Order: sequence, then structure tokens, then C-alpha cells
Amino acid sequence: MLINSVILVLREVLEAALMISILLAASRFLQVRLRWLYYALGIGLVGATTYAKLLNPISELFEGVGQELVNASLQYGTFAALSLVAFLISRRRNVDNSNHSTLPVTMAVAVALAVTREGSEVLIYVSGFVQMNDFLGSVGVGSLAGAAIGFSVGVLFYYLLLAIDSRRALMISLLLLGLAASGMSAQATGLLIQADWLSVSGPLWNTSAYIAEDSLTGQLLYALVGYEASPSSIEVATYAASITIMALSTLLGWTLFAKRSDEPQ
Amino acid sequence: MKRLISSALAFILATSVYAATPIFEIEIRNHLFQPDTLTIPANTKVKLIVYNRDPTPEEFESYELNREKVIMGGGKAVIFIGPLSPGEYPFFGEFNPQTALGTIIVKGTNDAD
Repeated sequence: MLINSVILVLREVLEAALMISILLAASRFLQVRLRWLYYALGIGLVGATTYAKLLNPISELFEGVGQELVNASLQYGTFAALSLVAFLISRRRNVDNSNHSTLPVTMAVAVALAVTREGSEVLIYVSGFVQMNDFLGSVGVGSLAGAAIGFSVGVLFYYLLLAIDSRRALMISLLLLGLAASGMSAQATGLLIQADWLSVSGPLWNTSAYIAEDSLTGQLLYALVGYEASPSSIEVATYAASITIMALSTLLGWTLFAKRSDEPQ
Repeated sequence: MKRLISSALAFILATSVYAATPIFEIEIRNHLFQPDTLTIPANTKVKLIVYNRDPTPEEFESYELNREKVIMGGGKAVIFIGPLSPGEYPFFGEFNPQTALGTIIVKGTNDAD
């Protein structure tokens, strides 16, 4: 029971932890105050609790696929916020005193949406065992351990990014953010397939023989880049389109204000 | 004439029912899937309804099927699966992965009968 709880909570926490550590590192490079994170976590927790409480009626909506639609909306929403973040980060590089609040607010939106989704699942999991008092001990310990490991990986990742030469680190952060965001967007498309809102003919390829999704590498890759061993053509197309959108918004922010950085300071 | 229309209607109804997505049902009881093996036709989209008869929540999960869905205690979940090629696709209850285990067996249309 203990190890199940560790793995389950770790899986949920890891994705959010990696995203938060990338955004925190970017904030440090751009000298954005980290206060946005508290708001994001607070709002995310309220969102997660509300979503967990309402999951049963929500699941009944749209002929039983309400849960998929809400989760997909949260994932697409996170993607949209992150693509705006990419634009704002690359713009910040050139325009120091540009609108100060937009970037932290957008980062907060991305994190709050991700925490709502991942957090609700952890809350539902834990609440089930609170109902059966006898499991509370090991599940509680396991969940805390899982959360602690996820948090530690995030912290480690954050300091890894800070250790890199700062000019490169911002580019690497943007690249990682692009991959993570595209993974979320592809997962959202997967949910629409599960809900039968999109039809598929079968997987485009299957790499589970090389990297199984339930292996350690598979889980890490899932959290980092949205690894999926047997994706359908629509999911692959979504991933490709999302990478393109992330690259374009980064380039747009980069070139739109590039002239000013040429001026002598 | 009336008879013709009614038989035509009956035919349309029958074919539309036949063409509809086949439905399969599973229950969760005491953190076990019942039945724990389900045979579905190959290359066909099916609608899986999972009833959670336990008071506690469960999560239907399958890496092979790319499916993941939380089912609250006493609730039910609609999950669309396929079309799949013949083979075995394991699934499990992520909240009770030691006991809640099952397999979806996909059989070709030739040996489905």
C-alpha cells in the first residue's frame, strides 16, 4: 500500500513540480518576484478541492464524459497560458520595463490550472482512504513521501537550471517549457479521444518495447515532454502543432522588440 | 402501405441499433473488477461503462489503452475504447493496483462468434 501511494502522488506532483521549477528559474533570470507562486498555489488548491468535490456530477455531464472535457480544458488552458509565457519571457529579454504584471499573472494562471487538475486527483485518492480509517497511516506516509520526492526533483531541477550560464539557461527553460506544454496539449487531445469527441483509427507507432510508460524513464519522460508510447495520429499532430505555436510565440516575442536591444544603453 | 412504412421504420431502427457503438459493462466491488476479463471485437469502437459499487473512489487506468479516468464511490464512468487490433490490453485500478486488475481481450471478427 505504501509504495502505491508514493508512486501515485509522485506521478501527479512531478509534472507540476517540473513546470513550476522551470517557471521559477525563468523568474529568477528575469528578476520577477516569486510572489506569483503563492497566489497560483492558493488558487490551485481551492480549484482542486472544488473540482474533487464536484467530480461526480461533472462526470455525468455530456453523456458521461464531463470529466474528460474539464480535464482537457484545463490542459489546453495550461498550454495557452504557457505559450503566452514563452512570448512574454522572450520579449522581456529585450524590453526591461515592459508591463511588469502580465508575465507573473500568466505564470500563475498556468500553475493554478495544472495544480487544479493534478491536485484534485491526489485529494480524491487520499479522501478515499480517509473513509477507511485503517489505511490512513501507510497511505498518508506514502503520499507525503511521494510529494516530498516530487518536490525534491523540482528543487534539484531548479538549481540545475540556475547553475547553467544565464544566457543559455533562458533558452533551455523556454525549450523545456515548450516540450512540457506540448505534451499537455497532446494529452488533452487524448482525453477528447477517450470521450469520443475525436475519432481515431489506431496508434501511429508503439515504442512501449523500448521505453515502457510505467518504467521510471517512461514516467520521467511523461512528466517532462508528455511521453506517450502508442500515440494516435491526432495526438502526434497536436504535439507538432503545439511545438510550432510555442516556437512561433517565442520568436514573435524575440523579434518584435529586438530593435530596442540594439540601441546603446 | 402502412405495413410497408412500419416495416421500413423497424428496419431503420434495427440497423441503427446494430450500427451503434457496442456497450460493455464492468463493476468494481471490493477493489476487484467484475468481470476481470472482457472480450471485445477487433477494429471496433466500444463504449465501456464501469460501475463503482464501492464507497471509495477508484481510477480506471491502462497504459496499453491510453485510458485514465477517476470514478467516485457509487458512481459510474463512460470510457470509449478502440478501434483496436487483436491482442491483450491490461487495465488496473490505480488506487488499488494490487487487487484491481483486469484485461481486455480483443479478438478478430472471424473468431468473435
